[in-house]
Amino acid sequence: MSDEVLKNLKKAVIEYNAEEAASWARKAVEEKIDPIKALDVMTEAIRYIGDGFGKGELWLPDLVGAADAMQSAMPIIEEEIKRKGAKRESLGIIVIGTVYGDIHSIGKTMVATLLTAGGFTVHDLGVNTKAEEFIEAIKKYKAGILALSALMTMTAPEQKKIIAALEKEGLRDQVKVMVGGGSITQEFADSIGADGYNPTAPGAVKLARSLVGK
Amino acid sequence: MLKGFTRKFKPLEILTEEQVEAIHRGTLEILENTGMTFYHEKALKLFEKNGCKVDFEKKRAYFPPALVEECLRKCPSSFHVKARDPKSDLIIGGDTLYFTTFPGMRTVDLDTWESRVPTKKENDDAVKVLDALDNLHKILCYTPYFEVKSIPPITAIPESVAAKIRNSTKIQLTGYSKDCEIFNIKMAISAGTEIFGQCCASPPLTYYGDAIESAFRFIEAGFPLHISTGDVFGGTAPATLAGSMITNNAEIIAIIVLTQLIKPGTRVVAADFVFPQNMQTGSPAFGAIGCSLHHVMFNQIWRKYGIPTNNASVGVSSSKKIDFQCGYERAILALLSALSGGNIIQLHGGIHGELTYHPIQSILDDDIAGMIGRFIEGVEVSDETLAIDLIEEVGPIPGFYLNKEHTRKWWKKEQFVPKAADRLTYPEWMKKGKKSCLDYAKEKMDEILATHKPIPLTEDQDNEIERILEEARKYYQERGML
Amino acid sequence: MLKGFTRKFKPLEILTEEQLEEIHRGTLEILENTGIVFHHEKALKLFNKNGCKVDFEKRRVYFPPGLVEESLHKCPSSFHMKARDPKNDLRIGGNTFYFTSACGMKTIDLDTWEPRVATKQENYDGVTILDALDNCHFLTVYCPYFGFEGVPSVMAIPESIAAKIRNSTKVQAEGYSQDCEIFNIKMAKAVGIEIMGAFFASPPLTYYEEAVEAAFRYVKARFPIYISSGCVYGATGPATIAGSTMTTSAEITAGIVLTQLIKTGTRVVANNYTFPQNMKTGSPAFGQIGLSLHNVAFNQIWREYEVPVWNANYCPSSSKKIDFQCGYETAIGALIAALSGSSLVGLHGEIYGELSYHPIQSILDEDIAGMIGRFVEGVEVNDETLAVDLIGEVGPIPGFYLNKEHTRKWWKKEQFVPKAADRLTYPEWMEKGKKSCLDYAKERMDEILSTHKPIPLAEDQDKEIERILKEARKYYKEKGMM
Repeated sequence: MSDEVLKNLKKAVIEYNAEEAASWARKAVEEKIDPIKALDVMTEAIRYIGDGFGKGELWLPDLVGAADAMQSAMPIIEEEIKRKGAKRESLGIIVIGTVYGDIHSIGKTMVATLLTAGGFTVHDLGVNTKAEEFIEAIKKYKAGILALSALMTMTAPEQKKIIAALEKEGLRDQVKVMVGGGSITQEFADSIGADGYNPTAPGAVKLARSLVGK
Repeated sequence: MLKGFTRKFKPLEILTEEQVEAIHRGTLEILENTGMTFYHEKALKLFEKNGCKVDFEKKRAYFPPALVEECLRKCPSSFHVKARDPKSDLIIGGDTLYFTTFPGMRTVDLDTWESRVPTKKENDDAVKVLDALDNLHKILCYTPYFEVKSIPPITAIPESVAAKIRNSTKIQLTGYSKDCEIFNIKMAISAGTEIFGQCCASPPLTYYGDAIESAFRFIEAGFPLHISTGDVFGGTAPATLAGSMITNNAEIIAIIVLTQLIKPGTRVVAADFVFPQNMQTGSPAFGAIGCSLHHVMFNQIWRKYGIPTNNASVGVSSSKKIDFQCGYERAILALLSALSGGNIIQLHGGIHGELTYHPIQSILDDDIAGMIGRFIEGVEVSDETLAIDLIEEVGPIPGFYLNKEHTRKWWKKEQFVPKAADRLTYPEWMKKGKKSCLDYAKEKMDEILATHKPIPLTEDQDNEIERILEEARKYYQERGML
Repeated sequence: MLKGFTRKFKPLEILTEEQLEEIHRGTLEILENTGIVFHHEKALKLFNKNGCKVDFEKRRVYFPPGLVEESLHKCPSSFHMKARDPKNDLRIGGNTFYFTSACGMKTIDLDTWEPRVATKQENYDGVTILDALDNCHFLTVYCPYFGFEGVPSVMAIPESIAAKIRNSTKVQAEGYSQDCEIFNIKMAKAVGIEIMGAFFASPPLTYYEEAVEAAFRYVKARFPIYISSGCVYGATGPATIAGSTMTTSAEITAGIVLTQLIKTGTRVVANNYTFPQNMKTGSPAFGQIGLSLHNVAFNQIWREYEVPVWNANYCPSSSKKIDFQCGYETAIGALIAALSGSSLVGLHGEIYGELSYHPIQSILDEDIAGMIGRFVEGVEVNDETLAVDLIGEVGPIPGFYLNKEHTRKWWKKEQFVPKAADRLTYPEWMEKGKKSCLDYAKERMDEILSTHKPIPLAEDQDKEIERILKEARKYYKEKGMM
């Protein structure tokens, strides 16, 4: 029975079905299935989609659709993980989001999905995210990496503000900060004291691996 | 006045009347029931005063169809725009086609094809080249470059407007950002030219405050307005062409309503600036045939509305080089826009995806514009062109036409001879060093820069431009933005 | 049957009905009173027997309008053509069009861009690549090359046919020269396919003997025929488009009368192979907008005659390289041919004039074909594509379409994704070695050659082809021609 539930959960993500994914996640909790296993099958599903995307067989709407499906199941599984005090083996925990004032989601979602497929545990805060929301999430998930996206020249300075907030909260030493987005350059990343920058989504995965030493 | 090109045959249309109607009804439906967000209090109040339902908390306006259609009717179907030299005036609309530029953030190195920030001189030179090109009638905003060495981003637009006023007599379109339109308008007035103002939506269905403020300022100055959206279909608009036409048109029409409420009869151009979503990279798909399908539908619908059109997504390739792909993409897009009755086509100079521009490209594009222009002027059919008597006189082989008076008289009218194309035979081409269009364009650029002198401003005017730029710098310094 | 591309809207037309009528009347006038020279006794007699006035001394035929119009009516408005693999059968005519390959005398070196004679392997590989390209539906005469290494010129055509029969199952056209059509027909029959025979006028107003003899042979073999006039206007035709459209039509119509007198209902295609005269070099002007104007007028006239049309002349560029100029010239020509209703559109592989061809170019042209094909298929407008409900649901910012089921379902239908174009962002492009369309086309060529296996002939068919080639060689040796 538990195999059946996990199979369906994975299938729902692969088929971009957010409602089904949430419903199978609830079922998994009801049936007391190990939430880490549930997270693993969703990650497998995302990896499958990410591979297809890498090979040029699948496209952005597929990548984003699968990410959405996983996002809809995540809070249910996370709640269960928290309740059980379980721990998941992964390359690292990442909090990602597009900064405040900026509503561009494509690049951020691509990176988040490929990071998930690459073996990280990713918490996507979405777009137009305020500095305090990032801080709160880092604390909550005990994240080791903060990934920030800003597409517009106007919103790039927001990344600097977030780094300042990390320092103020005494979190700067615990998290590596990686930045990206259309308006960001290596010089800018250096100037605001970020730990890394990469202009492409697959490059961001490599960067995250190097930041955690893997 | 610049006469541009006049289409002598019916425009290419791809929608049936019923399909045009279905898109129009859908547009009215969205305007009335989904509404549009305006981050601008004054605009919301104006809409409310004129019968729109307004949700001030959500900053959302809902437009009654009667108001929409009334405002569309108030826009002139063609209009005159005054340049600082009357020879560069334009009459926009009807069956006339003008070409304008496609800007780029930076210039490109022609050996490595990597982008780099241009110098101020390169920016000025690129404007001079545009001034010299016969088939370029209007210059777009941020053209040629958005980024210029030694110019801070905050004054980039006023500096760009000044460079264009100084180095060309052609009409220009100008942008807005952080109040810079105040200075743009002042410069135009002092040089005795009209300029196009701009107002851009942030799709889906949203207008930010600075776009609306800019519309108010340009209209109050009595200038015409260029309205565009920037929809990416599959991203910020529905993935279908028909659906994205609805959101795009709803966004443009909402501003048309605003313009006609601010000042009835305001001259507007509806610009179609849309791209399919590149489903591999997440950026817009430049040089895609979807742009043309969208432009052709757009031109058909807006012809019905009686409002002049600008086709914006043309002079921008997905290629990074001036190569085969760059050639076929823009040629297909430009031709389809011209055939379907676009009034202004953004062609000259843009290379990759709003990121790069080069004057060499603008020279090459001038030949594409010339070819297309010649095509839409069609074929003259008269006793003299049919030449039946001549054909009877020449007869079968060894009859020959090259030596006839009729050929000397007509061939130049019938043919178009490009200026920067390789037209040699193989042996001549080998003998002359295997030159390509790129080599010819470089020669042409050197020639223009050495010989073409744009009509200068009077000394007083030039001083006044400098004074306004200084005023702008002071304005931003005082606000801690410079 | 290959479905090709179906135009979903009215074709582009540039002549008024009155102009069309004037050109038609002029054509009849020329045919009746100026007449056409046929250097072929049997043809002259056949014309005479069927009511034409014939001057046997001058070999000149004068056509009564009744016979001309009757003969045009006898041609089928669309017809089926049988390929070696039924999947590749064609139905030529109506709103459907097919892309045909082009041809070139030689191949070129992609570093020096100089032409050189192709090897046998290169010729066969060139065919294999055309066989693999989805948007190439028909292989033209002398394609890819006009002969290859080790082939005496008199054997060039039969060897070319053998290569096409062996390495492709697509329909092909073939030429004539020194009786080689005898062997062409035999090879086609040996493998049970139809080939389209060529029949060329020699403008002005003349047909030479071997062209007419080939027409007799192809018609008697019950193969379809394409009739073409290689008029160069300003030299072998009047310098005006209207005048040269008339002489071209008169020449082709005379050929059509002959085919219908030999055998009523013979399937014919009117092939426009007209160029402006390059007034500087004396060669035909390739890649010129004049030939597109000529094509559109021609297509409109022949649509009225209800005879399928082939625009084979659009494609050759005047550039010697696969560069920007080659891109825009090729694209503009092909697009206008397709929009204006040509049933066959020449495209794949040609570079400069008819002088050079390269399979890389055919792979690049495949993307142009795909873009044009997507355009002519137009826009679907229905409740689902209009997506009014979805637009209402998504609303203004932060509404978004990329993650919607509607996008996953529709985007591939709405967009066309080219196979050999650079579609990357700048950073990705830098990271992946700055590849251009030319690099992608090379990769695609290697991939096709290593994976695509054209359906082979049966062993006995292959032997029969070889036997016929031997017979041809013997025939020409006996005649002292090789």
